Amino acid sequence: MKDTHPVDEEAPISKPPFFKSWAGMYWLVLGNLAFLIILFYTLTKIYE
Amino acid sequence: MKPLDWIVLLGTLGFIVIYGVWKTRGSKDIEGYLKGDNSMKWWTIGLSIMATQASAITFLSTPGQAYEDGMRFVQFYFGLPIAMVIISITVIPIFYRLNVFTAYEFLESRFDLKTRSLAALLFLIQRGLAAGITIYAPAIILSTMLGWSLTITNLVIGVLVIFYTMSGGTKAVSVTQKQQMAVMMGGMIIAGIMVVSYLPANVSFGDAVEVAGKLGKMNVVDFSFDWDDRYNFWSGMTGGLFLALSYFGTDQSQVARYLGGKSIGESRLGLLFNGLLKIPMQFLILFIGVMVFVFYQFNQPPVFFNEAAKSKVYGTAYEAELQQLEDKHTALFEQKQQAVQSMVTALKAEDDAAVTTAQAKVSALTAAGKEVREEVKGLIKKAAPDAETKDTDYVFISFVMKYLPTGLIGLLLAVIFSAAMSSTASELNALASTTVVDIYKRSVKQDGDATHYLNASKLFTVAWGLIAILFATYASLLDNLIQAVNIIGSIFYGTILGIFLVAFYFKRIKGNAVFFAAILAEAVVLYCYYFTEIAFLWFNVIGCVCVIVFGFVLQGLIGEKRSLDV
Repeated sequence: MKDTHPVDEEAPISKPPFFKSWAGMYWLVLGNLAFLIILFYTLTKIYE
Repeated sequence: MKPLDWIVLLGTLGFIVIYGVWKTRGSKDIEGYLKGDNSMKWWTIGLSIMATQASAITFLSTPGQAYEDGMRFVQFYFGLPIAMVIISITVIPIFYRLNVFTAYEFLESRFDLKTRSLAALLFLIQRGLAAGITIYAPAIILSTMLGWSLTITNLVIGVLVIFYTMSGGTKAVSVTQKQQMAVMMGGMIIAGIMVVSYLPANVSFGDAVEVAGKLGKMNVVDFSFDWDDRYNFWSGMTGGLFLALSYFGTDQSQVARYLGGKSIGESRLGLLFNGLLKIPMQFLILFIGVMVFVFYQFNQPPVFFNEAAKSKVYGTAYEAELQQLEDKHTALFEQKQQAVQSMVTALKAEDDAAVTTAQAKVSALTAAGKEVREEVKGLIKKAAPDAETKDTDYVFISFVMKYLPTGLIGLLLAVIFSAAMSSTASELNALASTTVVDIYKRSVKQDGDATHYLNASKLFTVAWGLIAILFATYASLLDNLIQAVNIIGSIFYGTILGIFLVAFYFKRIKGNAVFFAAILAEAVVLYCYYFTEIAFLWFNVIGCVCVIVFGFVLQGLIGEKRSLDV
């Protein structure tokens, strides 16, 4: 019986986009957290 | 609700359910049914993870939380990105190497069967309770606001979810969650734009944020340390980190989302996607709640947002008293409205002294308004002792029903139903897979064929769905719904996380020691919950640390050789 489901032929990723290694992605996530905390703290101080 | 709202609501939900069933039909074994044949791309995993965590409670309770308490709840999520990185580095490679269906399978290879079963059982208890609340929370609010039967609302949410989750398994859950996330975020962004557009003509968006700040709602980050304070930077970074580690690293409803990935890379990227976007998403939802608060500084809010509960006072001896309180509420609002307008004028003129004067006046009137609300709550309690007197969960839905135009009401209800369905689907799928893989296949029937376990998985999906509906139908309203779910999670997650951390990092501790350490740790957490005032986020830390410490002590006492013999 023919399988009528669409088959995703795209190869799975082994490396993250934009970075040479996973360490870069991890630092991006942690850097984003640090940026958000600083941004939120600034907002808190501006509007308190 | 107008016919257009019904068309939008039923059309959205119907499309998602039918698409999910059609797209994922034909699983032949549990590899496909419980792991989606490892075919998921990172963006599907990421959206699925976010949709699983974002239940209807998120969209009903969170804006109400911001209305009452400001933005500080966002700090609860500060530990989450760190947890995403830790899980990506340590947990995912181990789960992939062992090719497990559930997180708890790993515990048997590291410890023994009883530790695996204990962790699976703790998960089934807490997730089984949470699944009931996940259905009940939106059902009680929607049935109250729309005048629907609670049982029918529970059944509609529950049966739709059971239908596509039973039909397509993990893949159906993930595929439908992509659409559900689009509906949720689209609906909330439109609601946010609408509430800002409803502000008076002389109040800009910037003015609205300034007013919110002056009235104490822009309290996003608080670095002061207080054990009893649920939401500050420190509780978010520690308790929130432990909760996120436990939820994403050991809760099967999340583990199943990334175990279905095409590769380790896809799974990692899906988790990191969540780590990048979760905090901005929560900030947005809270901010919408703050804007609703500002809106109600210029438009009179109801004295009590749960109109159905308030109406129980009518026709009783307390009705006249309620009317007096309503009149007082109106008079206070009119004074406050003028004071807020003065504040806006002073802010525009950059007149600090006038701002401070207006701020003090608004604060005094707000405090007086709170006293009136407390008196109204007291009356409701006297007239109907079983009535719910906490109305923060009704703030946002009350605004939607009263002020949004036809069509958008249907869309926002679709947001709430989609959220309820997406998280419930993940929970049922996880409950079924844990029951089949960790209990049934491992300890009850080991010689079944692929079709047998596939049918068992479907049967347990339906069974857990029915249990959740039953629980939802007979549950009574808990304090604040989003907190109720997090409290239940925190009571069990710390212990489960402790078991996993010992498994990953403390090789010296063996099966018997960790098993009894986990039981003792759970007893300590339950003691803290019932007999202390410690904020619930700390239960995650306490449970986890207790497992590790007790594990070391017990291992030292019973010794490695004996622990292997018992």
